[in-house]
Amino acid sequence: MRTLDRRRWVLTASVVLVVVAVAALLILVAGADPLVGIRGLVEGISSSPYRIGEVFVGAVPIGIVALTLIPALRAGVFSVGAEGQIVIGAIAATGAIFAVDQLFGGAAPGPVLWITGFVAGAVGGGVTALIPAFLAVRWRVNEILSTLLLNYLAAGFLGWTLRTWLATGEQTATPQSAHLPEAASLPLLVPGTRAHWGVLLVLVIGAALFVWRRSRSSARLTVFATRPKLALRLGATRTQVVYSTMLLSGVGAGVVGWIQVAGVNNRLLNSVSGGVGFSGIAVALLGSLTPIGIILAALFFSALTAGAVGMQSATGTVPASIAEVIKGVLLIGVACIAAYQRHPLAALAPAGAPTAADDGGGGAPPLEPAGEATAGTLVEAEHEGGRA
Amino acid sequence: MSLDLWVAILAGTLALAAPLVLAGIGEGFVERAGRINLGIEGMMIMGALSGVWAGSIGGPLLGLAAGILVGLLLAIGMNLVVYRLHANEIVVGLGVTMLGLGLSTFLFQLWIPSGTTNVTVQTITGSGNGPLAGIPVIGPILFGQSPLVYLAAVLLVAAWAVMRFTRFGLAVQAVGTDPASAALRGVRVQKVGASALLLGGALAGLGGAVITVGTIGSFTPDITAGRGYIVLAVVIMGRSRPIGIALGALLFAFLQSFALLSQSTSVTLPSEVYQSLPYLVTLIVLVITSRSQMRRLFRATRAPEAENAQDARDAGAGTARTR
Repeated sequence: MRTLDRRRWVLTASVVLVVVAVAALLILVAGADPLVGIRGLVEGISSSPYRIGEVFVGAVPIGIVALTLIPALRAGVFSVGAEGQIVIGAIAATGAIFAVDQLFGGAAPGPVLWITGFVAGAVGGGVTALIPAFLAVRWRVNEILSTLLLNYLAAGFLGWTLRTWLATGEQTATPQSAHLPEAASLPLLVPGTRAHWGVLLVLVIGAALFVWRRSRSSARLTVFATRPKLALRLGATRTQVVYSTMLLSGVGAGVVGWIQVAGVNNRLLNSVSGGVGFSGIAVALLGSLTPIGIILAALFFSALTAGAVGMQSATGTVPASIAEVIKGVLLIGVACIAAYQRHPLAALAPAGAPTAADDGGGGAPPLEPAGEATAGTLVEAEHEGGRA
Repeated sequence: MSLDLWVAILAGTLALAAPLVLAGIGEGFVERAGRINLGIEGMMIMGALSGVWAGSIGGPLLGLAAGILVGLLLAIGMNLVVYRLHANEIVVGLGVTMLGLGLSTFLFQLWIPSGTTNVTVQTITGSGNGPLAGIPVIGPILFGQSPLVYLAAVLLVAAWAVMRFTRFGLAVQAVGTDPASAALRGVRVQKVGASALLLGGALAGLGGAVITVGTIGSFTPDITAGRGYIVLAVVIMGRSRPIGIALGALLFAFLQSFALLSQSTSVTLPSEVYQSLPYLVTLIVLVITSRSQMRRLFRATRAPEAENAQDARDAGAGTARTR
């Protein structure tokens, strides 16, 4: 155990070093001074309250998507459909807000419109997530592929929506919806920034999942990921696990769609999802599926994006897409670290053998930082199951 | 719709299918070996960028070679991380895709800063005037294509032969079906899996280069537009078999070609419907194949024990693999 611990630290340190080295190398390749670049990065994040606010604004959607993905990833259900669920949630929220506002004769009070947007977004995202869940349960359609394909269908639907039934009446350069009614936008948390009340929502969701992680159902999902047959004895059927975890992640993504419309842009744009879905998965893994880790990782991702823009303007030559490269390297690095998390299966399984071979776990990743605790949880969980 | 239009659509189908088939052949080997490469999208787009870059220096053939090389390098890195460091291959695959998309955009913006004109390279075009290209209808569709289309067809047959008749092909299948038994019989599981992954990477890079060097002639960020994922879907739909992969790729390419060319005609559907159609049909076919796969699995459950265990393993990997 101790050697594994040390290896993990060595690995973590090397991942950090590699990431820094890659960043420095890319800046050098772009013909800029890394120190100037780093100063630009720091300034891009922190030179004004507005910029600090932007980091939070960027972290909210990534954080919510990542947090609501915890149960799915814990159970080894690999849904990459957040992108499309955000889009459908945003369309549903925008449509519902306009409809309800019309019902009130254009003077609907704020709270009504907030609840409308929240519920419509959640329903839109949830329903979108139920499609791949149904396909996975009923016909064992690989959920990675079905969610990826649905993302493209959602994007097509958004394009059509913005040209037709939700299109703005004004002449605009890019397709977009009309402005939301004033009352529908989320109130600002800090004046002078764009940080809105959605920031608090992240904390609420994080706290809820923090509590949930200690619950019996969380333990059941962990068991499901590695030993579906044992999980069955604990009352976790494949159907129930796939539906519930994917529904939760879909609802989260749908709410993000509403937040992006009502909190950030105040209108529906083609770029509403903007890669948040994929960043969300990376952040969930980076935060090793713990709420606190995820919130920090989301802030880090958002800061990286904002900082890269600062770096671009400070150096003049380094493209802001450097952030995407660093995120990719980081994700690969995190996967390496996760492999050394003393998971019994990760340690035992030969490299060539599938780890979740005994049921349709869909290639369950041995990710959770269970370590010694896993053995305990398994025994306890079985015990509880026996009593129930 | 006129006959000419249909000829153009079908000719475009073959051209659009070539990169999918090339990358699909590679991924077919990877999945037959019981693995999955979610980094195809990243490998393809890096291949597309390096293809144009090398193509602008030393001509299209060098571009194709550069595409292969870059795909191979990414696969070597991925292999190292997945096999040596035992990282989860789905996560690493997503990471490689993220890295590829980001790095290609980064390097492209360095190479051609915004505001300057994009570089266009000479493409590998079909001769178009061979003796057979003169045949009406069939000529332009089958015999007026770029040499890369024929290359894809040849590699498809070669992949079938390798899988069927060579030691390597049998080893790949053995490793994918039952790694433990394969290891007992002296197959080196890691080595075979690594070879399959490297082959998959090289062909994904080539597929990416074919998109730019073969047809378009220039690079733009996100030019692959999710084709790496389509390759994954096509391979799973085609049950990792060359013929299935070819049919799946042709179906997707046909719908794409149809979407590109039929918008100008009298059929008045929203353009988004045409653009979404390839993805929708892919999803539907995926559902149909998964369903028939599951039916077979249920039938096999009543069969003897040995088969039972094997089928359960097939389902466990979540991919369509045949025994």
